[in-house]
Amino acid sequence: MANGIALESGSPATHSIPWYVWASALAVTATSVGLYWDISWHMSIGRDTFWTPAHLGIHFGAVVAVISSLFLILSTTFGKKRELRGASVKLWGFYGPLGAFVSLWGGLAMLTSAPFDDWWHNAFGLDVQIMSPPHVVLILGIFTLGLGGLFLIVSEMNRADADTRAKLNRVFLYAGCMLTILLSMLIYEYTDYTLTHSAIFYRVLALAMPPVLVGIARASGYRWAATKVAAIYFVLWLLALWVVPLVPAQAKLGPVYTPISHLVPLEFPLFLFAGAAALDFLLDRMTGRNKWLQAVVAGLGFVLVMMVVEWPTGSFLVSRLAENRFFGTDYYPYMQRPSDYHYAHEFYAWEKTRAEFWLGMAFAFVAAILTTRVGLAWGDWMRRVRR
Amino acid sequence: MRRASFCGTIVCLLVCLLCGARTSGHVGSPDVYYEGLAGPYRLFVTVRMPQMIPGIAQVEVQVLDGRVSDIRIVPMRVIGEGSETAPPADRMEQSTSDPQFFSGKLWLMESGSFQVRMTIDGAQGKAEMGVPVAAFAQRTLRMQKTTGTVLAALMIFLVLSLIAIFGAATRESQLEPGQAVPPAKRQRARVAMAIVAVAIIGILFLGNMWWTSVANANVRDMVYRAPPVQVSLSGNQLTLRLGSSYWHELRKSEQLNRIIPDHGHLMHLFLVRMPEMDDFYHLHPEESAAGTFTEGLPGVAGGSYAVFADIVRESGFPDTMTAKIDLPAGDKGRPLTGDDSSTVAPKISTVQTSATTVPSGADGHIEWILEAKTLQAHKPTLLRFRVTDKNGAPATDLEPYMGMAGHLVILRRDLSVFAHAHPAGSVPMAALMLLQKPDGSGGDAMAGMHHEGTPAEVTFPYGFPQAGEYRLFLQVKRAGQVETAVFDAQVLP
Repeated sequence: MANGIALESGSPATHSIPWYVWASALAVTATSVGLYWDISWHMSIGRDTFWTPAHLGIHFGAVVAVISSLFLILSTTFGKKRELRGASVKLWGFYGPLGAFVSLWGGLAMLTSAPFDDWWHNAFGLDVQIMSPPHVVLILGIFTLGLGGLFLIVSEMNRADADTRAKLNRVFLYAGCMLTILLSMLIYEYTDYTLTHSAIFYRVLALAMPPVLVGIARASGYRWAATKVAAIYFVLWLLALWVVPLVPAQAKLGPVYTPISHLVPLEFPLFLFAGAAALDFLLDRMTGRNKWLQAVVAGLGFVLVMMVVEWPTGSFLVSRLAENRFFGTDYYPYMQRPSDYHYAHEFYAWEKTRAEFWLGMAFAFVAAILTTRVGLAWGDWMRRVRR
Repeated sequence: MRRASFCGTIVCLLVCLLCGARTSGHVGSPDVYYEGLAGPYRLFVTVRMPQMIPGIAQVEVQVLDGRVSDIRIVPMRVIGEGSETAPPADRMEQSTSDPQFFSGKLWLMESGSFQVRMTIDGAQGKAEMGVPVAAFAQRTLRMQKTTGTVLAALMIFLVLSLIAIFGAATRESQLEPGQAVPPAKRQRARVAMAIVAVAIIGILFLGNMWWTSVANANVRDMVYRAPPVQVSLSGNQLTLRLGSSYWHELRKSEQLNRIIPDHGHLMHLFLVRMPEMDDFYHLHPEESAAGTFTEGLPGVAGGSYAVFADIVRESGFPDTMTAKIDLPAGDKGRPLTGDDSSTVAPKISTVQTSATTVPSGADGHIEWILEAKTLQAHKPTLLRFRVTDKNGAPATDLEPYMGMAGHLVILRRDLSVFAHAHPAGSVPMAALMLLQKPDGSGGDAMAGMHHEGTPAEVTFPYGFPQAGEYRLFLQVKRAGQVETAVFDAQVLP
């Protein structure tokens, strides 16, 4: 149960990691792993029922989050521990940490997506796209669930003593990494290596990544926090690229264009830690300066570094040299026609003209500045969360 | 972004209003009925196609001859990529009440020309058979009222709770534990909640636009549309210019360009005088230029004609294009030659339904042998016809008409259903031919061509797709003459 002691001011200081922090870390892990597995399942096995292990993973996370949040809210509201209620926000007569309400909201959004998705399947066919509207509801539910976990951890962290804060910070960075992984899956269709020479790749990165990386780094307060988060993402994703193909699998839907003997992993991870390092370094150097100036410098730095790293990486990945188990560009889903394999070795020009490309890049730079500023504001806000 | 998730429920309610339109893809008869031989086994296969692709087809097999213990099914492309590799086959469920009846599900993930590959095991050994199916999305579905209500309620709850969460976050989340909420914070929370409420309305509005466009794009890309056909008459020369639908344009890589002969002709053209369905022509225009078909018309009775042009693409995918044309009465015209045929029928409005015996030329009758008192929609049925001579004895002078023991055109009175069936069923014969393997393991595509049993009897496996009034044009060939018998039927729900 929650560990806290009432200080003179009535403020409970945290001395160890409460159970619900672990519960939220478990929930976000289960959903992230489940989602990765689900995408891989669709590429390898195809046949989809509610009871696939991947779905069970996703929904296990939702169930853990909903039950633990509900329990936390109900025990805080109706329990006898006054200090718990003192460290709570009040919502419709119920008390609980802000993160519990946010997690619960995420779980309910996920539940809402289920009948919506069911209808969408009937109306528009079984799953063929990641970004269908009900999937967006599901993914945003999952994402909110992860955010709730972050709020839970950060509120404990902000009240903790130095030792406990260090422990909680590790869990916080881990949860931030899970959120980054979820985001990466959300933007996966636009961050294919064949798009690394198109502006869309950098536009999407600029829109999605700086808020989370900067926000988490800011709230964490530790040096190189964003880099650590992105590095954990890189390692986990790379491990998945190497380990997932070891699991035997067979396509269970036709037509089978590419016979499958094992699960198909997601592509080689992004070198996000390079951009994150740029954010960490530049923001650290500019501590105390105007926030907008920080956002301009760090946002531009993020996109530039990502371009410097991903542009040549893309060139390498489209080459035949990357067709091996290390870089994994020779894994094709069962629905991939052999006559289309050549697309894996060609850049796709999302923008059709040079002007469109530069316009897209200008958008990416502006977006990165704005989203970095959002990240700074969000991170600063999280640093002050106490309940 | 988080707030955008609310849009789903609103949008799905709006989308269902936009997407309920019924298409005329393959003219209202998408289910596949097939009777054929798989080695020693004679099977009657029904494939009930899903309304949306990807979707799940229901497959039913009634064993007519032989003792079958196990049937496995798997979807494969008819030709090209995906026609050689397959997922593991699914075992069909054997009925406990009728051991010779099997049912199963088939996942169809793409549109186009497919086969249901069947592996049959039984007392007489193993056999294989392929049943061609044309997979295409027919329409989207309306949302059920209950689902809509539940989703709307959840959406309202999520919106209100999100506003409340923002309020609580602004009001209290940054206060020291135990600290009372200052009035300024309460005021700030109210402002924040108002801003969030406005933002949610804006996001719902934008989300509505986005998801409506997603839904519309799905309908545009996925729901089958028959290619347009322009029909014109110059003198007695009928010209059909085939266009291409967006649906076909998106699927050019799936062997949908070239048209292949279907029992000897690139096009089977049917003209039916409306509204009485009292004149019927079965013609075979030649392709005079790419996508242009022409034929000299015989002298026709003047009036408005419904046009049905049947073609089969190189993948085995069939298209029925529909049009209307007003034809002037004309005595002069090209006499019917070759496989072309026509008949004059009584006006449909003056005929009592379910006529079972009609004259067959001047020398006999064709009788529809009704197995049951009523015809029911969706029920797989072997439509059985007997050709008799003038003495009432089974006719002995039947011969194949375009390689087939008979042709049956089924038309609903309002033209919402058109089917061109053969003794093998509603599958395109050209697609069936594509499935033939040199070793004969593809099944018996020629089942209709050398019909066994009483030569004077012709059967057509079919299921009427909906209740209503139907007119059936049955065509057989006797002693070199094509004879067309006309039947009317009332199909019950």
